Amino acid sequence: MKFFTPFRKKSPWILHYNAGSCNGCDIEILAALGPKFDLERFGVINTGNPKQSDIFLVTGPVTYRSRERLVELYTQIPEPKVVVAVGSCTTTGGVFRGMYNVEDGIDRYIPVDVYIPGCASSPQLIIDALVKAGEILESKSKAIEKPFKLFGAIETIGNKLSRLNMAKKVHDDED
Amino acid sequence: MTWIWIVLAPLLGGLIYGGERVLRARMQRRQGPPLLQPFYDMFKLLDKRTLILHAPHALLAVAHFFVLWFTVAAIFLGWNLIYIIFLHLFAQILLILAGYSVRSVYSHLGANRELLMVVAYEPVLILVAVGFYLISGSFEITTILQGDGYWHQLPLLFVALLIIVPIKVKKSPFDIGEAHQEIVGGIEIEYSGVFYEFLYMSRFLEYLFIYSFVFLFGGESYWLGAVLVAGVFLLVNLVDNATARVHAADMVKIVYGFAMSFAIINILGVLL
Amino acid sequence: MLTLILLPIIASVFTLLLPFKRVHYFITASVLVTLTLVAFSFYSSTEIVTFHLSHSMSFLIVAADVILLLYFLYQGIKFRSANVIFLSAVQLLLYGYVESIAPTGGPAEIVVDNLSKFMFLIINGVGGIIVLYSVRYMRDEPVSATKKSLFIAGLLLFLSIMNLIVCANSILLFFLLFEMTTLASYLLISFRNDTLSRANGLKALWMNQIGGVVILLGALVAIEGYGTVMFDTLLKSSGGMVLFTVALLAMSALVKGAALPFEGWLLGAMVAPTPVSAMLHSATMVKIAPYLILKLAPVLGATLLGSLLSVTGALVFVAASYLALSRFVFKEILGYSTVALLGLMMALAAIGTKESMTLAMVLMLFHALSKALLFLAAGVLEKQYHVKNIEEMKGLVHRAPKTVGFILFGFISLTLPPFGLFMGKLLAITSISSLLRERPALLIVVLSLVIGSALLVLLYFKVSSALLSAPSDILPTQKEHLPYGFSIPLILLAFYSIATAAGFIIIQGDLFIAWLALPLLLVILLPSMVQKMERYDRIQPYHCGEKELFDAALVYYEPSIRVRQIIYGGFGMLFVAVAFIGVLS
Ligand code: SF4
Repeated sequence: MKFFTPFRKKSPWILHYNAGSCNGCDIEILAALGPKFDLERFGVINTGNPKQSDIFLVTGPVTYRSRERLVELYTQIPEPKVVVAVGSCTTTGGVFRGMYNVEDGIDRYIPVDVYIPGCASSPQLIIDALVKAGEILESKSKAIEKPFKLFGAIETIGNKLSRLNMAKKVHDDED
Repeated sequence: MTWIWIVLAPLLGGLIYGGERVLRARMQRRQGPPLLQPFYDMFKLLDKRTLILHAPHALLAVAHFFVLWFTVAAIFLGWNLIYIIFLHLFAQILLILAGYSVRSVYSHLGANRELLMVVAYEPVLILVAVGFYLISGSFEITTILQGDGYWHQLPLLFVALLIIVPIKVKKSPFDIGEAHQEIVGGIEIEYSGVFYEFLYMSRFLEYLFIYSFVFLFGGESYWLGAVLVAGVFLLVNLVDNATARVHAADMVKIVYGFAMSFAIINILGVLL
Repeated sequence: MLTLILLPIIASVFTLLLPFKRVHYFITASVLVTLTLVAFSFYSSTEIVTFHLSHSMSFLIVAADVILLLYFLYQGIKFRSANVIFLSAVQLLLYGYVESIAPTGGPAEIVVDNLSKFMFLIINGVGGIIVLYSVRYMRDEPVSATKKSLFIAGLLLFLSIMNLIVCANSILLFFLLFEMTTLASYLLISFRNDTLSRANGLKALWMNQIGGVVILLGALVAIEGYGTVMFDTLLKSSGGMVLFTVALLAMSALVKGAALPFEGWLLGAMVAPTPVSAMLHSATMVKIAPYLILKLAPVLGATLLGSLLSVTGALVFVAASYLALSRFVFKEILGYSTVALLGLMMALAAIGTKESMTLAMVLMLFHALSKALLFLAAGVLEKQYHVKNIEEMKGLVHRAPKTVGFILFGFISLTLPPFGLFMGKLLAITSISSLLRERPALLIVVLSLVIGSALLVLLYFKVSSALLSAPSDILPTQKEHLPYGFSIPLILLAFYSIATAAGFIIIQGDLFIAWLALPLLLVILLPSMVQKMERYDRIQPYHCGEKELFDAALVYYEPSIRVRQIIYGGFGMLFVAVAFIGVLS
C-alpha cells in the first residue's frame, strides 16, 4: 500500500551478521549503535532476528563455513529487504582477497544494494549507508528476492514459496 | 467515554512506549527516536511480507492480543480485580501455548521463561488484590477507586508491586522473557509482519495493565495515582538502565524472597 | 437407591458369564445410562432417604469385615510384609473390641442426604464412563479373556461399593466399605502381577490400613464418649470428645486422600492399568477424603482443628504441585496434581462455611471430570502410541492431533476460565478473603491457593510444551485414527465439563461471569480462520542460520534431598498434630 511505504525508511530494523570478518567493522557497527552516534534516532533497532528485520548488515568476506548461514539468513528476511555490505573485505574480499578459504565478497551469494568501503569503515559511513538503504527500501516491492545460490535446496526454497507451490515444486523435481 | 478509552487503549499504550524509548535515550544522553516511533514501526510492519510457521502459531498471537485487550477493557470498566488477573493469566497462557507450538529452541526457551515469570508475579498480583480488598472491602475496581489511604496502609505491598513491575514490562533486571542478546526475543522470535505487530501491540497493553495496578494505589485522588505511575515509570527505567539481567531462577527466588514476604508482612499488619 | 447398588452387581455377574466384547460394550453402556439417569433423578429430588439394616444384614457386615481383615493378614504373611501383618492384626483386635461394645439399634445406618446425592452424580456419571472405556482398553491388555472380564466386573462392583460408602451413616459400616475400597485398590494395583505392581500394591495396602486403624480408634472414642457409632448423632452432640473423634476420622481422610506423607501409595498406584488410575485414584475413590471432611465440616467450623486441617490441605496443595515438577512419567504427574487438588478440596471443606463447602463440592465435580478425561487420554497414548513419559511425547501433536487435543482441553479445563476448577479457585479466593479478618490463619490458605495454582499452571503447560512442538507445516500433518471405544468416553467427558461449566455459570445467576467466557469464544472462533491462512508463506524456524532442527529440553525442578526431608518431616508432624489438637480440644 502506498500509504505505508514512507514508513519503511522511518523504522529500518537491522540484522547484523558476521561472515568471517576480523571484527573491526563489527566494532564500528556497535559504535554507530551506541550513545555517541545514536543510530536509534533514525528508528533503527538491532533485532538479531531475520524475521523482523529490513536491513541485512553483513561484515566479512564470507568464509566457506559461513556461506550457508549467510544464504539461510538472507532467505529468512521477509521482503522488502536491503543488503548492506560493510567494509572492504565484504565488498571485494579486501585484505583476504584470493585466500584459499574465503570467497571474495558476499555478492557472489546474495544481491547487495549498498557497499561501504573502508577497512575498517567508520560509523559515519555506516550511518550514511543506512540512510541510503532506507531510500532503496522505499523503492522496493514485496516481490520475492532469491539468493544467487541455494544451499540445501528444499528447506531454503520452502522458505519462500507458499505450501501449495512448494508441494508442486517438489513434485516437479521428482519427475 | 470509557468505551472511547478502551478503543484507544493500544494507541495510548503506544504513546507510553514511545515516551519510554525517548526517556531511556535521554537517560543515556542520546537523542533517541521520535515519540511516535512505535507507530512508524507498526505501519512498517503492515507493509512487510508475512511469513509464518503454521496457522495455529500465528493465530494464537492474535488471540493473545485480543484477550489482553479485553483484560484492559475490563480494567477501564472497573470490574473485579481477581477476574482481571485471571483473564490476564489466560492471555498469557495463549502466548505460552503459541511459544510451545513450534519446533524452535528459542521459542521454547522463551515460553519456559514466560511461565516462570507467571509463577513469579501472579501470586504477588493476587496478594495486592487481597490487600485492596482488606481495606476497601471489595474486589471491584470501581469500589477500590472510591476508597483512599492505600498508599500509607499498604506501603510494603506497594514495594512488592514495584518489584514485579519490571517483570511485566520486561525491563532489567527481570527482562528474562525476551532477553534480546540471549534468546533473541523468546516467544516473539518466529513472528514476522502482521503477526509480529499483534505481539508488538500487546506489549503496549501490558504497560497499561501493570501501571493501572500502580494507579489503584492512589485511590480516590486520581492525581496521587498519576504521580505514583509517573514515579514508578521513572524508577523502573532508571533501574533498567543501571542493572544487568539476573538469572531466570534467581528472579523467582528474589520475587518469592522479597516481594512475597513484604506482601505477607503487610497483609498481616493490616489483619492484626 | 437399590438400583444404584444392585445394578452394578448384577451387571458384573453378567460380564463374568458372557465374556464377549460386544456384550461388554452393551452392558457397560446401559449401566452408564441407567446409573446416570438414576443419579440425576435422585439429585433433583429433595427427600432424605433412610434405611435400617436388618439384624441378619448387620451380622453379614461383621462377617465380611472379619473375612476381609483375615484376607489382609493372609496377604501380609504370603508376601512377607511386616507392615501389613502388624496393621491387620491391630485392626482385627480393635475391631473385635469395638464390635463387642458397640451399641445396637439407634438411628438408621444408611442415610442419603444431599451430599450423598451429589456424590452419586460424580461416582455414576464419571465412573460409568470409565467402565465403558475400560472395555476397549482391556482389549489390548496382554492377559487372558477371563481376567479381562474379571477386571471389568471388578470395576462395576467397585461402583456399587462407592455408592454405598457415600451414604453410610454408621462408622462401622463406613469402616467396612473403607476397607473394601482399600482391597479394591490393592487388587487392582497388583493386577499386572509383576514385582513392581506387587510392591506398590502392598504399599497401598498398608498405608490405607493406617486409615482403617484411625477410623476404628475414632469409633472407639465415639462409643466411649457418646455411646453411638452414627455420624449424625455424633455430629449433633457437643463436648471435647467429638473433636477428638472427628480428628481421628479426618486423619483417615488424609490417608485416603494421599495427603503428603502418604502420597507414595497413590503414585505407586499409577502402575495399574489406566482405567484403575482414573477410577480409583483420581475420579471417585480418593474423593472419599474430601467427602469425609465435608461430612465432618459442621463440627469443624471455626475450631483450631478446622484451621489446622485447612492449613494442612493447603500446604499439601503447594508441596504436591512443586514435587510434580520433577516428574517425567505422565501418569505420575497427573497423580501428583490429583494429590494437590485433593489437598485443596480438603482445605476448603475444612473451613466449614457454607460457601467454602459448596466450593469444595464444585471442585470435586470438575476435578473428577477433568482428571478422568486426562487419565483416559493418557491411556489412549499408552495403548495406541506406546508413550508413557513426557520426554517421548515430543511433537506428538503431529502424530496424534485428536488425543493431544483432548489432553490440552483437560489442562485448560483445569486452569482457565470459564471452567469449573478455575471458577472454584476464583470464588475461593474471594470467600476466604472475606473471612481473613476473623481467622488470620486462613492467610496461609490464600497464599497456598495462589502459589499452588501458579505452580500447577507451570506444570501443565510444561507438559504441553512437549506435546505441542510441531514443525513448520510445510510437511503435511497425519490423520489420526481414534477407535470409538476410546473416543466416545473422551467426548462424553469433554461434553460434561463444558455443560457443567455452563450450568455453573447459569446457577451463579451472575451474567457478569458469562463475560469471562467471551475470550474463550474468540479462541474457539480462531480455528475457522485456519483456512484463510493458506495465503501466507511458510518459513522454517530460526536456528541462527543453521538448517538442522534442534529441540529444547524440558525443564525439571528437582528439590534437593534436604528440602524433600523437610517437606516430608513437616507433613508428618502436621499429621500427628491433627491427632494432638484433637486430644487437646
Ligand atoms: S573490512 Fe577490514 S576491518 Fe572490516 S572486517 Fe574486513 S578486514 Fe576487518
